[in-house]
Amino acid sequence: MLTIDKNRPTEAWIAQLRSRYPCETEIDRILTRKLRQRSGPGYEPVSLKTLVAGLEGLLRANEVEDFSIRNPRWLSGGASKLQMAFELEWLRPGVGFEKTAMVLRMEPAESIVETSRLREFQLIKSFEGTVPVPPVFWCDPDGKYLPYPALAYGFAPGVPKPSQAVSGVSGLGTCMPREVREHLAPQFADILGCIHRHPFSPGALSAFDIPKEGTTECAEWGVNWWERVWQEDSDENVPMLSVAAAWMRRNLPVLDFASVVHSDYRTGNFLYTEHDNRISALLEWELGRIGDRHQDIAWTTSRAFSSLAEDGKTLLVCGLMPEAEFYERYEKASGLSINPKTVHWYKVYNAYSISVLILGTGYRIARNGKTHQDILVAWLIGIGYMIVDEMRKLIEEGC
Amino acid sequence: MQMRPEVQIAAMIKAMKDVVIPAVAGTNKLAEEQAKLVVGMLGLMAHQLPLQFRFDRDELTRLVQASAAMKDVHATAPSARAACGALIERTAEAEQVLDQCRRDPDDLRRSVHAMRAAICDVVDAFAQSGSDDQQKVERVVLAMSAEQLLRDRSLVKLQGWEPDPAAVPEIESLIG
Repeated sequence: MLTIDKNRPTEAWIAQLRSRYPCETEIDRILTRKLRQRSGPGYEPVSLKTLVAGLEGLLRANEVEDFSIRNPRWLSGGASKLQMAFELEWLRPGVGFEKTAMVLRMEPAESIVETSRLREFQLIKSFEGTVPVPPVFWCDPDGKYLPYPALAYGFAPGVPKPSQAVSGVSGLGTCMPREVREHLAPQFADILGCIHRHPFSPGALSAFDIPKEGTTECAEWGVNWWERVWQEDSDENVPMLSVAAAWMRRNLPVLDFASVVHSDYRTGNFLYTEHDNRISALLEWELGRIGDRHQDIAWTTSRAFSSLAEDGKTLLVCGLMPEAEFYERYEKASGLSINPKTVHWYKVYNAYSISVLILGTGYRIARNGKTHQDILVAWLIGIGYMIVDEMRKLIEEGC
Repeated sequence: MQMRPEVQIAAMIKAMKDVVIPAVAGTNKLAEEQAKLVVGMLGLMAHQLPLQFRFDRDELTRLVQASAAMKDVHATAPSARAACGALIERTAEAEQVLDQCRRDPDDLRRSVHAMRAAICDVVDAFAQSGSDDQQKVERVVLAMSAEQLLRDRSLVKLQGWEPDPAAVPEIESLIG
């Protein structure tokens, strides 16, 4: 039996994976880069001083002059990227001298979710003025100035959950009080509809490939992407994941309308201002793609992000609104229909992708010391079995 | 099961070294010293764990050999005779244990790995060929996975992921 040393990938093995699992060009680029760098060193703590120096280089390369970086400090939250908050005193084009609160978001040596900073940058930029997003300023897609690829964006005001709320890691299971959700729920559904209706320009989103409508290409690219990551990162095989991949390939849905898909649209990944209960910024665009809106619908309505209303019976989508109400509001806002069968397929797809990240990538990077918080990544492995089991039940329902 | 001591210990050491120790360094001598001892102890655990079974088996072999070497001694006092008799009984039990412990726990894990991989290969092969029996193969895996995933979930239940923990039986009752 031929044994692959996944910690020291050979060029032949990388080529084999690329050929077997064709996916979007930029996704292929970052996954290939990940494998080529894997045998290199693990993540070493980076000082704020190093980040500031790298950021200065990035700013100069973007012709920002007469600036000063103030009060750099670490930001916690999330399991995948390092974040440094700071204030930039600068001459902002079209505005004048300004002190702007910003965040530098940088990858570790390997991330639980290996994504493209360029895609994230382009996607957020394309939604400025359309839906609430933090302003993005500069991107270092290849880590030319900073130790690893990074982007700098404006610090958005707001909170991800009520100051008094209780929730788990990454905002999962947040319980929104009735008086807050009454305000947030309609915005939440409307904004998703707006994202899916947003006309995208291939020029502005050059790091994205556009799947053909009327074909199964979109779904197939997605399955290829995650099956490739599973092959690249997993340690022990999981027969249930093989069954899931086979099931998905047998039931690929046809794309009826190509939309921008956020891919992690849920409570915990948006901020809102508590004084007026307005959604102020959508975060975590890193997994966004041009694809099928049903991927977002399936993700957002996942049981994992739901919580019960005060009556102890009504399940609320993302702790905000009953599912039927969410669907109705979304359809009205977007003018797009929801196909339950496609939602079901994408629920399996989403469960598959998250299982791959948690059980495959999580194990690999924590074992190899590749992140700034291996302990959190290792801790998350435990939730993987519940997700795989949920996927099993979905497949049995769909058989 | 992917949540294993090798990854748990490696992640704990890294968290202590990269984050906790620098945070307490110079501010709390006792915390710094104990944090370093935690790292040392975890490193020792990581070293010991893969060897522990072989180490214990090696020791038991030596104890059995020592017992055999004592066969020629003549016990005259009643207490010595009783002790030697007990030793003979324990030795017989130990020999049985040794006989049953010829394989390493790693052999078991390697076999689990190999079986998982082989079953995945069967699923993939049937999926690629589109054979009539593809769904039969998948149904077997679905049934097997239902049982296995229940045990996987139970083993990590203490982490608190389960929305209804009472619905997941305790691992001791599931694995016999």
